[in-house]
Amino acid sequence: MDWSAPHAGFVAAAYAASAIGILGLIIWLVRRDISARKQEDHIG
Amino acid sequence: MQKYANPHVFVKLASVVLPYVWALTAILFAIGLYGALVTSPPDYQQGETVRIMYVHVPASWLALMIYSLMAVFSAIALIFRHPLADAAAKSAAPIGAVFCFLALFTGSVWGKPMWGTWWVWDARLTSMFVLMLLYLGYMAIWRAIDDPHRAASIAAIVALVGAINVPIVKYSVDWWNTLHQPASVFRMSGSTIDKSMLWPLLVMALAYTMLFVALLLVALRGEIALRKLRSKRLAEVRSK
Repeated sequence: MDWSAPHAGFVAAAYAASAIGILGLIIWLVRRDISARKQEDHIG
Repeated sequence: MQKYANPHVFVKLASVVLPYVWALTAILFAIGLYGALVTSPPDYQQGETVRIMYVHVPASWLALMIYSLMAVFSAIALIFRHPLADAAAKSAAPIGAVFCFLALFTGSVWGKPMWGTWWVWDARLTSMFVLMLLYLGYMAIWRAIDDPHRAASIAAIVALVGAINVPIVKYSVDWWNTLHQPASVFRMSGSTIDKSMLWPLLVMALAYTMLFVALLLVALRGEIALRKLRSKRLAEVRSK
């Protein structure tokens, strides 16, 4: 990938958005899963 | 198969399988991104912009596949009243919505330098936008209706009715004149993409699919825990 090529900023924006979207989804779902299981264990 | 569809067995099985699925996902992403950004050549017409394909196409495939899967889970939930089926459909929805949004966003970012516009209301883009609305509508039903059984039934019907949009998205480029290019990978006459670009695309598609499997297992395990929690709290309130 030549980052100085024309329109390289569009490629960077697409990859950055994908990374943010995917990482956000992972963090949200993992935190929800851990929190739900902890509460379940707490109640017994 | 019936044994693994038991929520208790599923939670145990998911906890065992998940580390391997995450590891495989990471390996596939490492190989796929190396192919997408390092080894694959720039396109003779599009230049470096073609690399958007490696994140746009897998996100679009997943958005369609997840909605189809939600329709199947919903049909199972409606017909057999299986406790895992509507939980699986509900858990898959936000994942599909994110992939659908990413497909629309990366497509728009790809469209600007190639077509000279961020957006055009052609058949492919419009039907994909409708898919996004269907995902949002499906999730809104679960949030809006308090009774989970009623919410599950209405959401399942919406998922099944909305499934008509899936073949419309897929064949929109063949049925209508669109600015969006026609299918170039899964064609009767074979792929039109060069092998140097095809293998990173397929590895990235596999990485996205494994990521979806991992996310669905996590989401479904969380959903089962939340449902158990709700049942226990209801039982506590009733016993007082």
